[in-house]
Amino acid sequence: MPKCDLIVVGGGPAGMAAAIAAAEQGLSVELIEQRRALGGAFFRQPAEGADPIPKPASFKARWHRLSSPFSRTAIKIHYGCIFLGVDGDGLVLVDDRQAGEVRRLNARAVIIATGACEKVRPLPGWDDPGVSTVGGLQVMLKETGRPANGRILLAGNGPLLIAAAAQMARAGNPPVAIVEAGDPLRPGLAGLGLLLAPHLLTEAFGYLGTVYKTRIPWLRRARIEKIETHADGLQATVIRGNGDRSAFLVDRIGLHDGFRPNDMGLPADVDGRVASPVVIRAGDCCEVLGCVAAEADGAFAARKVMALLGLGRSPDKENRIPLRLRRVQASLARLFAPIAAPIDVPDHTMLCRCEGRTVGDLKRLLAGPDAKSGREVKLNGRFAMGECQGRFCAANVAELMTKLRPDAAPVVDMDLAGQRWPLRPVPIAAVIAGARSKTSKR
Amino acid sequence: MRSPFPPSVIVAGAGIVGASVAYFLATRGIRAELFDEDAPASQATGAADGAVSVGSKRPGPMMSAALAGLSLYRKLAHDGVFADLFKPRSTFIVAVSDTECDVLEAHCAALSGAGVQVTKLDRAMVAGRFSALSPEVKLAAEVHDDGHAIGYQLVHRLLTAAGATVRRHEKIERILVSGDGRSVRGVATASGDHLADAVVIAAGSGSARLLGLTDVLIPRKGQLLITERAPALNAGMPGSLMSGRYLLTKGSQKTGKPGPARGLALVIDPLRTGQFLIGGTREDHGDRRTNDIDAISQILTDAVVLVPQLANVRLLRTFAGVRTAVIDGMPIVGRIGDVENLFVATGFEGDGICLGPITGESIAALICGDTPSLDLGPFTPSRFHNLRIVE
Amino acid sequence: MNRESFFWMAQPIPFRAGETVASALEAAGILSFGPSPTGRPTRYFCGIGVCQCCLVRIDGRVTEACLTPAYSGARVERVETSDAEV
Repeated sequence: MPKCDLIVVGGGPAGMAAAIAAAEQGLSVELIEQRRALGGAFFRQPAEGADPIPKPASFKARWHRLSSPFSRTAIKIHYGCIFLGVDGDGLVLVDDRQAGEVRRLNARAVIIATGACEKVRPLPGWDDPGVSTVGGLQVMLKETGRPANGRILLAGNGPLLIAAAAQMARAGNPPVAIVEAGDPLRPGLAGLGLLLAPHLLTEAFGYLGTVYKTRIPWLRRARIEKIETHADGLQATVIRGNGDRSAFLVDRIGLHDGFRPNDMGLPADVDGRVASPVVIRAGDCCEVLGCVAAEADGAFAARKVMALLGLGRSPDKENRIPLRLRRVQASLARLFAPIAAPIDVPDHTMLCRCEGRTVGDLKRLLAGPDAKSGREVKLNGRFAMGECQGRFCAANVAELMTKLRPDAAPVVDMDLAGQRWPLRPVPIAAVIAGARSKTSKR
Repeated sequence: MRSPFPPSVIVAGAGIVGASVAYFLATRGIRAELFDEDAPASQATGAADGAVSVGSKRPGPMMSAALAGLSLYRKLAHDGVFADLFKPRSTFIVAVSDTECDVLEAHCAALSGAGVQVTKLDRAMVAGRFSALSPEVKLAAEVHDDGHAIGYQLVHRLLTAAGATVRRHEKIERILVSGDGRSVRGVATASGDHLADAVVIAAGSGSARLLGLTDVLIPRKGQLLITERAPALNAGMPGSLMSGRYLLTKGSQKTGKPGPARGLALVIDPLRTGQFLIGGTREDHGDRRTNDIDAISQILTDAVVLVPQLANVRLLRTFAGVRTAVIDGMPIVGRIGDVENLFVATGFEGDGICLGPITGESIAALICGDTPSLDLGPFTPSRFHNLRIVE
Repeated sequence: MNRESFFWMAQPIPFRAGETVASALEAAGILSFGPSPTGRPTRYFCGIGVCQCCLVRIDGRVTEACLTPAYSGARVERVETSDAEV
């Protein structure tokens, strides 16, 4: 079986930067991308038939710098292919959606750049139709050029809310309100670090300007308490900074409580000494530091792979992510630190949506003197055992377990996760077709 | 001096066997303390296919034990401990080739002879009874009164019912022997010495280093997989499916002949959730943490031959476990030699779920000086002359 | 303008070239894709293919609506179709 030097998983900024850096050094590179175009979430490209949303010049320049080298290099891109994992024999497994088969690829090294995943705190009604993530609404806007229909409410915590609200407003449908648990406008020097990233500041002021101009209420120190589906829309009850409750009747709600690495179930890093292939992570799936850091990390990962394959000097760990970028992210985090008190959600709140398990189910499982491990809670409570493999519930379950049992050892999301393939469900027909395909190639 | 009612027992291993011992001791008023190197059901029990089955056994001690085991499951389900966990249902053993038909016919005769209710179904009868089965199936044997239960759920229920606490992540370094060597005092772990009036070693493959059984106990890996929910297909399956080839694979290893590097015995279990659990391989090498695409592809290819509609269902997760096999194919259960208060219960290979509770009941009886209902003669530890407490 | 369309439960849904099934359904005002096998609402959520909340059955195969480019004549149905109901 032909063995390429490097497989890159994910065609976002980190993956693209890693692929380019490796290809320019002469490695044979293949890139796995689940969509039909490069860009990831940050650089989600408009569909052919869409009117692209307006973007700042710096954004377009950045995209051009990332994407144009692809036409010069011989990187083989597998579109519509989903990374399933690395099997026990070191084969890279990929679900080729177009061919309908699971392909086995052979490489000396794999760089995983699957990006970030959004955090969503559980609250009653979060799994109702019409409720999605803010990022989900944003990528759909980028893909189609159209914001969601009707009255939109964005809620949660973090700079994405402002950015998405401004983009929706510019595209013709400003949200009816933004509900933010933090208070970035509070007095203090929390945001001073942003001065290190003038482009970010410009972008931020641009977004804030749009939000102000289109008069989108930005409720700070506020949280959604619950969402209820009515005949005429979704009703969100918001608890404001002063303790008052407000009701919003809307058609779409976007929730977002920050980002986490999209790393559930990813194979462990392998440095190549004991097993093959080399496996390393780059970008937001390793540490969420944003697009600029992701590009730097991708290039770093490529140099690291070359060193591990004996083709170059090992890059300096200190130079991995420019300190300036870390400071910027830390500043953003401080600026947007949640201030509104977290809400104690009622027992009927859905916790593991895929398996239909609630907060109450978890509490009942934890009752009793025997301190169950995360794995036992998973197997017996069915938390994180569904199709999403815990991507949206494992962290919430772990956090709640730790909160409910302060005397027991803290539980982390990894305790409820496995590290087995497939990372995503795959049709049995595709597995069988892949095996048939492989044998017929002999 | 034999103490007729020891007040304290240490059980090494919180899998199905250890948890069963703890439960049955609790029914006798004895609180056991369990130690596990990891956590309850983290090894073979947690990766089991859940078959509580007579159908796969050959007549002899294993068949007798399985019949007693199943009977106990029905009692425990009826009495409440295993209510809604044990699902009584038939096992359908199917043959697609002439060789398999021959083996299956012989097996049916053997099962009937042992008093098991079996119905032979020819192609036409199969189509009527089990519509999801492919027309490739030439013969099926419906073994009535088998059942299914999920290992980690059973362990969780047993431990809860016993009111037991488990010392997790605490590996037993060695067994503490008394001065004269005629009894044990307890066990030693990293946190110190733990004393008890009796010790039960039910630690699966971990039992080997404690009792000098490294040449006797064989870790035997099995790969399995689980699918997403397919409620309609699942509801249409009246029981679990076993390929007739299963009988061949198990057989060749029991005779001590070197079997194939990897055997494959197809079992398709419709789960209560609407998912399918499909297994599995038998391999004496390989890391329990990994699955390989070859094995999984082979399992799925074979599964789709029997149930074509599975092709449209999605694979959700692969996993593997390591069974503890014994060199002569029989578990090791009983009191250790001259030591009055040390017991072992391990080496169940793929029959742990079926035999766990009946073994637990038997060990609890032994500890209390009673005669166990199961004849433990064939499983005696004394058949291994090198068995000893390793110090 | 002659737009192509696919079918959602026999209703024609227009789509633009390159759009995903999820985007086209959203534009058509369809926010609910029916119950999942565990009875939870199926709908668009994360947009990056990982949450498995937007599962639909396209020409018989279960797949994520947000990852599947729409194509002309596709038969898109709920995961739990009436054919499958026992």
